[in-house]
Amino acid sequence: MFNRPLIPILLILLVALLFWLRQPAGESMVSRTALVMGTLVEIKAYGEDRAQLEETIDTAFNEMVRLEQLFSSHLPESEISRLSAATGSFAVSRETAVLLELGIEMARLSDGAFDLGLGRLKDLWDIGGENPQIPGEQSLRRALHGAGPAALQLEGLQVRKQAPDLHIDLGGIAKGYIIDRAAELLLQAGVSSAAVNAGGDIRLLGDRQGQDWRIGIQHPRESDATMATLNLRNRAVVTSGDYERFFVRDGIRYHHLFDPQNGRPARGCQSVTVVAADAASADALATAAFVLGPRAGLDLLEQLPDVEGLLVTADGRRLATAGIESALEWH
Amino acid sequence: MALGELLQRLTRFDRYLILCLSLLVGVSFLLPFGRQAGARLIVEADNRTVFSAPLDTPRQFAVEGPLGMTRMEVRNGAVRVLHSPCPQKICIGLGEARRAGDLLACVPNRIVVRIEGDVEGAAYDLLSR
Repeated sequence: MFNRPLIPILLILLVALLFWLRQPAGESMVSRTALVMGTLVEIKAYGEDRAQLEETIDTAFNEMVRLEQLFSSHLPESEISRLSAATGSFAVSRETAVLLELGIEMARLSDGAFDLGLGRLKDLWDIGGENPQIPGEQSLRRALHGAGPAALQLEGLQVRKQAPDLHIDLGGIAKGYIIDRAAELLLQAGVSSAAVNAGGDIRLLGDRQGQDWRIGIQHPRESDATMATLNLRNRAVVTSGDYERFFVRDGIRYHHLFDPQNGRPARGCQSVTVVAADAASADALATAAFVLGPRAGLDLLEQLPDVEGLLVTADGRRLATAGIESALEWH
Repeated sequence: MALGELLQRLTRFDRYLILCLSLLVGVSFLLPFGRQAGARLIVEADNRTVFSAPLDTPRQFAVEGPLGMTRMEVRNGAVRVLHSPCPQKICIGLGEARRAGDLLACVPNRIVVRIEGDVEGAAYDLLSR
């Protein structure tokens, strides 16, 4: 056979061709979208069994809807709304307790820049609502009464508020927690390559068919442009920016990321992107770093293990933590 | 057996055949990277697909949601929301969707627009905003 080597060479070419043709048939990708938590949620998952992927994504969406009904401050019967209305000690579910515990820890780590007790402040400004307004100093002080790192005490499943009229708002952490839960369900069902994207808050499972997921980071001042790409696998990415929800009055932009010290929109940054192991932490830290401003915000991200970030200052300068350089491409 | 010795045993026809087949295999490896990105737009209202169209044909169309009609336009290979009955008009402010994987949504009117195509041509897989 080897006296005339044409046949072995042809066999090698045939094997190469068959190997290549086999690749796309192995895995299929299912992408589904749904409106949950007042935002567009997209789940992309790769796997061999398309029907099973569809079923698993359905389960994940159902879980997201269930958790939204637990954590939403807009639904009067949610556990968080009932906690806000409670005047004494209130028993919560295990899931709410876990989320509140993480929120309290984030408030402590950020010296109060992240705050779970801003419900009345957000209602007062009504940014993104039908009647946004710029409140006066007295109204701001009243809305902040009882807020702060010590606003909630958690003992087991019992929650006690520092001030009876404190309104809890989990807007800066619940979305991250909910997409983490969706990702956990996908993982439990055997999906090892997936992405859960809730309006730009992203949790990645594994890689994208052997390659990094390429995450575009929104440019804070050009709505059709990205400012960077992050090449990541098995991470969560959350961006908080002053362009998400805002109104402009007399040339001043009033956005939804409030400084708990004065009740007004934080002014140090245009956007903060946080990369962490889980989306709940990334969500809370993006808000906290935004409120803290460029220097203290970047210091906070640098000091935490397994956390990285990008930050655009109010005057447009781009900063990044040292550990993210290898995954980062600026545009 | 040395490679040179192997090659000497091939006839001219063998060499041409191997060359052609090698080119064919090489081209088949490259083919997926040349596919067109963002070929089609899919519109969903209340989680059901209600409209689909190619992105390369200019058109205007409207989709009904619980608040009323959301009017959209396909132009220059991209889709955008022209008019919406929602109070904040955030969907109009989202601008254009043109790359595979891009999404537009009017949450109050429960309308979602997504671009389907081969994501290899896109600059990113997901957008953090």
